[in-house]
Amino acid sequence: MATAAVSASRPTSLGTKIVALIPGLLLLAAVGYAGKLIEQSIAVYTKSHHITFPNIEYVLWAIVIGLFIANTTGIPRVFQTGVATYEFWLKAGIVLLGSRFLLGDVLHLGGISLLLVAVALTLSLTFMHLLGRAFRLKPKLTSLLAIGSAICGVSAIIAAKPSIDADDEDASYAIAAILALGAISLFTFPLIGHSLHLSDKAYGLWAGLAVDNTAEATAAGALYSDAAGKVAVLAKTTRNALIGFVVLAYAIYWASRGEAQAVGNKAAFLWRKFPKFVLGFLLISLLATLSFFTKPQLTSLANLSRWAFLLTFAGVGLRTNLRDLGKQGWRPFAVGAIGEVFIALITLGLVYGADRFLHL
Amino acid sequence: MPESKSATPTRGFSLDLYAVSLAFALALLVRFNLIPPIKW
Repeated sequence: MATAAVSASRPTSLGTKIVALIPGLLLLAAVGYAGKLIEQSIAVYTKSHHITFPNIEYVLWAIVIGLFIANTTGIPRVFQTGVATYEFWLKAGIVLLGSRFLLGDVLHLGGISLLLVAVALTLSLTFMHLLGRAFRLKPKLTSLLAIGSAICGVSAIIAAKPSIDADDEDASYAIAAILALGAISLFTFPLIGHSLHLSDKAYGLWAGLAVDNTAEATAAGALYSDAAGKVAVLAKTTRNALIGFVVLAYAIYWASRGEAQAVGNKAAFLWRKFPKFVLGFLLISLLATLSFFTKPQLTSLANLSRWAFLLTFAGVGLRTNLRDLGKQGWRPFAVGAIGEVFIALITLGLVYGADRFLHL
Repeated sequence: MPESKSATPTRGFSLDLYAVSLAFALALLVRFNLIPPIKW
């Protein structure tokens, strides 16, 4: 999303490009910071007046303010390029978050995530294809929805679209359905997690495995707790790392049916589709494990990651246009929604099992 | 279609690369105390 919007404006020079980003960046910062101020003000007010009130994280305020602006006044053109950078801040934030993990934790939790992702992925893809057939969706639209909901949302759909020669219209439907469902997950997952009394680790793992888009998965985790947000990012990053393999499998499938171009060098294809920020995350984690940073420096890096996520969460709200989401046909949305509920239940069962047998 | 075939991976690569570069630049600035401690 961000990349498309950035490239769409095609500024002529680097200076013009940077200047074009400033208004939107300021808007992201203002919305995110307003969310942080509201959280702090409520905490101070309720404490000073001895009122018991649940802490509502700045994440939710930033998203709600963003949603309000996007769906009332709309985002003026001058802000759009900068707002679209929220995905960039998300990736930078994830890399910096690597400093909060020792490599051993990454391997332990990442290994469990990988195992659960593999099981969930197989079941989800099979179920989505059966659903698509039952709702008579076009096969390639079903493929895009399956990739989007099983692996990693919009990025996966964008990565898969050219590889399987899907129509623009199919990609737009799939993206709209995934975005709408991501927005719903943001508000429902924390409520379900609290009602089931899930631990921070179990909830974070569940959000990372079940919520589609990386930005929404990060936000859904952070809405629960800081610790849950950390685990959600790790689980989602593990899921993202598999994007290349899934897209490659689909590309080979559609090419075998003569409906997409054959894949030449498969290793090069995998490398092209591999999200490079995962490597950055692992490298920072390795440096933290080797005590390259002191404790106060690790705190600074964790705080930098929080600031990057603050811009991301503001962007999540600002880019969600409820009217646009409503314009899609009901069938792709229905398939996506039923699929999401299925994936949420499957992954919840897997997380319960992992918590019991693999000791999260 | 041919346009998107070549454009998508390149754009994805650039965005990731820029994000990783920024994160490492900040990490080095913090490591060598070239910026003040970051507060939240």
